[in-house]
Amino acid sequence: MDPDVTAVPHMPSAAAQLPPPLPRPAAQAQTRITDGQALQRFLSSQAARNFMGFLLALNEAVRGKAASDPCHVSPAVEALLEMLATLSRWVDEVPPSQQSLRYGNPAYRVWAARVAGAAEELLAPVLGPALQAYAAELAAYLPGSFGNAQRIDYGTGHETAFAALLYCLANAGAVSEEDRQALVTRVFAAYLTLMRKVQTTYWLEPAGSHGVWGLDDYQFLPFLWGAAQLIGHPHIRPRSIHSADTLEACSSDYLYLAAVRFVRHVKKGPLAETSPMLSDISGVPTWDKVNKGMIKMYQVEVLSKLPIMQHFIFCSLFGDF
Amino acid sequence: MGDYVDRGYHSVETVTLLVALKVRYRDRITILRGNHESRQITQVYGFYDECLRKYGNANIWKYFTDLFDYLPLTALVENQVFCLHGGLSPTLDTLDHIRALDRVQEVPHEGPMCDLLWSDPDDRCGWGISPRGAGYTFGQDISEQFNHTNGLNLVARAHQLVMEGFNWCHDQNVVTIFSAPNYCYRCGNMAAIMEVDEGMRKNFLQFEPAPRRGEPEVTRRTPDYFL
Repeated sequence: MDPDVTAVPHMPSAAAQLPPPLPRPAAQAQTRITDGQALQRFLSSQAARNFMGFLLALNEAVRGKAASDPCHVSPAVEALLEMLATLSRWVDEVPPSQQSLRYGNPAYRVWAARVAGAAEELLAPVLGPALQAYAAELAAYLPGSFGNAQRIDYGTGHETAFAALLYCLANAGAVSEEDRQALVTRVFAAYLTLMRKVQTTYWLEPAGSHGVWGLDDYQFLPFLWGAAQLIGHPHIRPRSIHSADTLEACSSDYLYLAAVRFVRHVKKGPLAETSPMLSDISGVPTWDKVNKGMIKMYQVEVLSKLPIMQHFIFCSLFGDF
Repeated sequence: MGDYVDRGYHSVETVTLLVALKVRYRDRITILRGNHESRQITQVYGFYDECLRKYGNANIWKYFTDLFDYLPLTALVENQVFCLHGGLSPTLDTLDHIRALDRVQEVPHEGPMCDLLWSDPDDRCGWGISPRGAGYTFGQDISEQFNHTNGLNLVARAHQLVMEGFNWCHDQNVVTIFSAPNYCYRCGNMAAIMEVDEGMRKNFLQFEPAPRRGEPEVTRRTPDYFL
């Protein structure tokens, strides 16, 4: 302890003034959930509760908020947006290879290797000079946030990796409570735009998809946070997803609508057949109920699934279990 | 050649039709097992969810997955074309090795039976670790050796989405045939069937999704999470 601080009389201790000390950066972030037992231990851990708490804090931050609503944008958020813009430019620079016979385009591996190789560099402006010690650990989340290069696939586990990166940035203090709204309506929205570009450029296979029986082939969180955005909306109801006009007019403001619009864009056939889950949920009377259901469903169908969570990466900022 | 269920809307109808055809024309149809004809895989990839939603309970899923244990793993056409879902196994050099397998069981996580349903051909020679986490990748040298040893001229397999519906590889020692058009309603791929005539000439029939017969009946049922 610093003797100069404790020597000053009538001052609250330094510990009370400063945020809790940051963990010592670890040499390497790694996967930790190796079997069902480990997953159970993780799910009942403080680390899992804190992570879910973060996702719910973002949920509250965007309740009733459209993307075009006024929103605080910090330099760290701008740095994240710049990072995603760079990755999007790289997609333009790595066109899909023409001779591909398989579905997943091997050019994705070139793009992914570039992301992996530059991960620390990409994160440096987001972390700022004070937090560079965490760059190596956090870099481990970057390639995994955009799919699997070996299998050329992408799914909710990769999306969760990106959410974990945001959570770790929050734990490090790189982003603050003030940034929560922007983390969803700006950063996560830009992440989704990038992923849709990656999906339609390199045709990643859906990872571990339930096909038509899942919520979506690739994403989950735009439906969760997106439902929160629509709570209390004067005229957009859950059933409004069947209106092409509403999807066209309001997708830029609401993640949920943009996600449904993308499904309708890439899937051929009536929604009740290509996405029975989304179609069923459109019968739920209120967005509040949709949002609550999504939160329950995310915990069961994503965070509690071993095939997904066995790839989940832990670093010092995420916390132990 | 397997994978009759998972991911699509009509798995239960598809597999029911195949089984009904087998019952009606037992000598004219052979139904091989794919890696998705398994209790574990169908619980992850959709068939379980589909049965639960369509019937309100998992009985149909149980009956079908019990039946899947009895599906053969491989078939021979005129002792020349070796048909199976996935690919070769480093532990199976001859057809007699395959005949000796105790196959009436859930698909194991590893071993020869698993490999037959999970392996993929690869550009690299020899055996490789599969990115799928089950089975192996095998090179042209392996395919040539297997065909030579067993007096075969072709391995016909499925298991991988190919955009044209069929795809030759390993210098025509292996062909991949994928028969689900516009896979998952989004992939935009053609589907194909391989026809073999009296002279053992192969002809591929490619096809696109069937035209729709009107809109499906919509009965919305609120998922439990949202009640």
